[in-house]
Amino acid sequence: MGLLDIITGKYVDPTHFKSVHEGGNIITTTVDAVVNWGRKSSIWPFPFGTACCAIEFMAFTGSHYDVARFGSEVLRFSPRQADLLLVAGTVVDKMGPILKTIYDQMPEPKWVISMGVCASTGGFYRSYHTMQGIDEIIPVDVYVPGCPPTPESLLAALMKIQERIKNGEQAKRPQGEHRVGARAEGSNDRRERRLAWADDDAQRATTGLDPRGRIHFKLTEERDEPGSGSHHA
Amino acid sequence: MPSMKALDRDSALVKPAYRILSERFGEKVLRVTEYRGDLAITVAPTAWKEAARTLRDHPELDYKLFLDLCGVDYLNDESRPDRFEVALHLYSVTHKHHIRLKTAVPEKNPACDTLTEIYKGANWFEREAFDLYGIVFTGHPNLVRILTHDDFVGHPMRKDFATGKRFVNKKPKEWLLHVPEGSEHLVLNVGPSHPAMHGTFRVQVLLDGETIKDTAAEIGYLHRNFEKMAEERTYWQIIPYTDRLNYCSAFINGHGWALAVEKLLGVEAPARAEAIRVILSEFSRIMDHFICITTNVVDLGAITPFFVVFRAREEIYDLLDSVCGARLTVSYVRIGGVAQDVPDDFDARCRKTMVWISEVTEQMENLLTKNAIFANRFKDIGTFSKEDALSYGWVGPCLRGSGIAYDIRRDHPYSGYEQYDFDVPVGTVGDCYDRYLVRVEEIKQSLRIIDQALQKLPKGDFITHDRKVALPPKSEVYSNIESLMNHFKLVYDGILAAPGEVYGYVEGANGELGYYIVSDGKKHPARVKVRPPCYNIYQAYPEMIKGTMLADAVAIIGGLNVVAGELDR
Repeated sequence: MGLLDIITGKYVDPTHFKSVHEGGNIITTTVDAVVNWGRKSSIWPFPFGTACCAIEFMAFTGSHYDVARFGSEVLRFSPRQADLLLVAGTVVDKMGPILKTIYDQMPEPKWVISMGVCASTGGFYRSYHTMQGIDEIIPVDVYVPGCPPTPESLLAALMKIQERIKNGEQAKRPQGEHRVGARAEGSNDRRERRLAWADDDAQRATTGLDPRGRIHFKLTEERDEPGSGSHHA
Repeated sequence: MPSMKALDRDSALVKPAYRILSERFGEKVLRVTEYRGDLAITVAPTAWKEAARTLRDHPELDYKLFLDLCGVDYLNDESRPDRFEVALHLYSVTHKHHIRLKTAVPEKNPACDTLTEIYKGANWFEREAFDLYGIVFTGHPNLVRILTHDDFVGHPMRKDFATGKRFVNKKPKEWLLHVPEGSEHLVLNVGPSHPAMHGTFRVQVLLDGETIKDTAAEIGYLHRNFEKMAEERTYWQIIPYTDRLNYCSAFINGHGWALAVEKLLGVEAPARAEAIRVILSEFSRIMDHFICITTNVVDLGAITPFFVVFRAREEIYDLLDSVCGARLTVSYVRIGGVAQDVPDDFDARCRKTMVWISEVTEQMENLLTKNAIFANRFKDIGTFSKEDALSYGWVGPCLRGSGIAYDIRRDHPYSGYEQYDFDVPVGTVGDCYDRYLVRVEEIKQSLRIIDQALQKLPKGDFITHDRKVALPPKSEVYSNIESLMNHFKLVYDGILAAPGEVYGYVEGANGELGYYIVSDGKKHPARVKVRPPCYNIYQAYPEMIKGTMLADAVAIIGGLNVVAGELDR
């Protein structure tokens, strides 16, 4: 039942379909389940290794821990061919725009693992040039604690991503993506950012505007039919 | 500084450097000190450049190896008329002697003559001092920020700059090279996130076909402020930070830090601790060389050696794990010893690991050394001359690959290296292949050292009994008041070093790793400057690859073993 354990489909006794497929096995399932099963077993990571964690990442891909068991041994150094961004190591302010560009270049669906405390929170580098966690600029799906994390915990993070893909969950969206142009855009401090957004929403509300990013669809009766617009008359 | 008494003139005249400089510059040589064996000469700013030239060119001095140049901020020191100081560290390979040359720089017009004409390596160091301290080096060819990004405002290492003040990098630097309009040459940007650039290096090349015509490099993509953090930590608390400098061989950095602080304090670690340090340092060196060689050939398309060698690396990790509970960033060293004694089966574990290492080294050599494809990619590629290597300040396997036998373990033995018998391999051509062979031979020599150290591993304490430096054992803390007080004082006040400055150095896996520590008597050091071996090495990289093929540039960088954590700190 190995395959059936993985695919969330319905097993049908092939004897009912003798006329269709003589002596063969038939599995019915949903297209999504098959696609997700394929995706989860072939995650191609983009290793954004900057510091110490990259060395443990090498151990993770190396012969002992052998990430090939999870189908993720195909490291892609082009973001356009990868679906998992694995940020291993400290990201500093100078590197920030580069990380953002790489994330933006990755095709959907894409997942992000933040490996180690530096990528997650800045770690013990609380100073003038160190980003205090990559979630200042990109969304993170799984955080891996440790300095650096052991390869086992990185494998656990990968399995967590696999689990989510299997369940058909969506990756996180960039935080405040709809806030382009709002105050505190690009601000370093998360708290400052949230307060500024709340403030922005409150100010818009006083002038009768909706919060930024909320889209209103016109009702069907108001919609202009092609060729029947009043200005054509 | 009070305890750093200047030497009196007569006794200082014994020092050839002082004698020659004072003959030539007279009153412009302001002060000479010798503290913990470090000779430091302060000259007037007007004599700065010529004094450095004299130190380099005078045959009796011959300080040809440029080590380090950095700024120091003495904001809180009332006794100094000028706020900043520039310190230059040099080494004479022929006379086996280190020297520090200093000059004061005022706050109002922080200008100082550039040394770029004298030492090629001074270029990036001066840019760094400008970036971090705002010291302007007059005559410098390209004095722009190097570590921080372009939207940064202010000079972060100044004492009055708030540690946590950050600036958003809105516009990353796109072009490093200037290409005239209508040029037919192609600009190719490599890095900072590029597999061949090992993480965070960036280089831009101007290509004519596949030949590199011009290059420019940019660093700072991992500048995470070790030095600023160190100024706010006690001497102990800095140990974990040092692990993350050259993370391929984390233990050696801690070893160097402990030795530098011990030099500053004038204490010594017990013989057993020193032997343990030597053993683990050598294992770390082997690990580092493994990473360097195999990731280098991965870049060239050979992935098998990587898989072969990583099996042995796992064994070394297991060994470190059994000793201190961590695989990579060990934090095992302490000032005055090591954190705890090694486990009972340490010897057996080491022996087992050594068997693994010699096996995989042999396999790696079979795969590479006589492999025609590998040799063709490496032989006569990236040749670097002795003179350039010295002027840039190359050290370690790269310098030895270029034919200069400078190994601190042999020339300035520390931690009891003088007891062990080992050879220092030296290259003849100075190309990538030589650097590779030097590394392979060093792995074998390291095994020899470990073998001897294990045989002689002395019994006894693993950390000093000096209660001003090392914590008392927990059993004593819980049972007698004196130890409790010692423990409390040490945790609360930290280690208090007398005012003074030292330069402590060890042979790191990629060369001389130095720590220049300035203490003002408080519990935090006033200034810590790391002399990172690969800063000098990477600085030469753009010049090395000029005129070579693009594919060779990839082969060269892996063999230089540049580690970002140490390069950008």
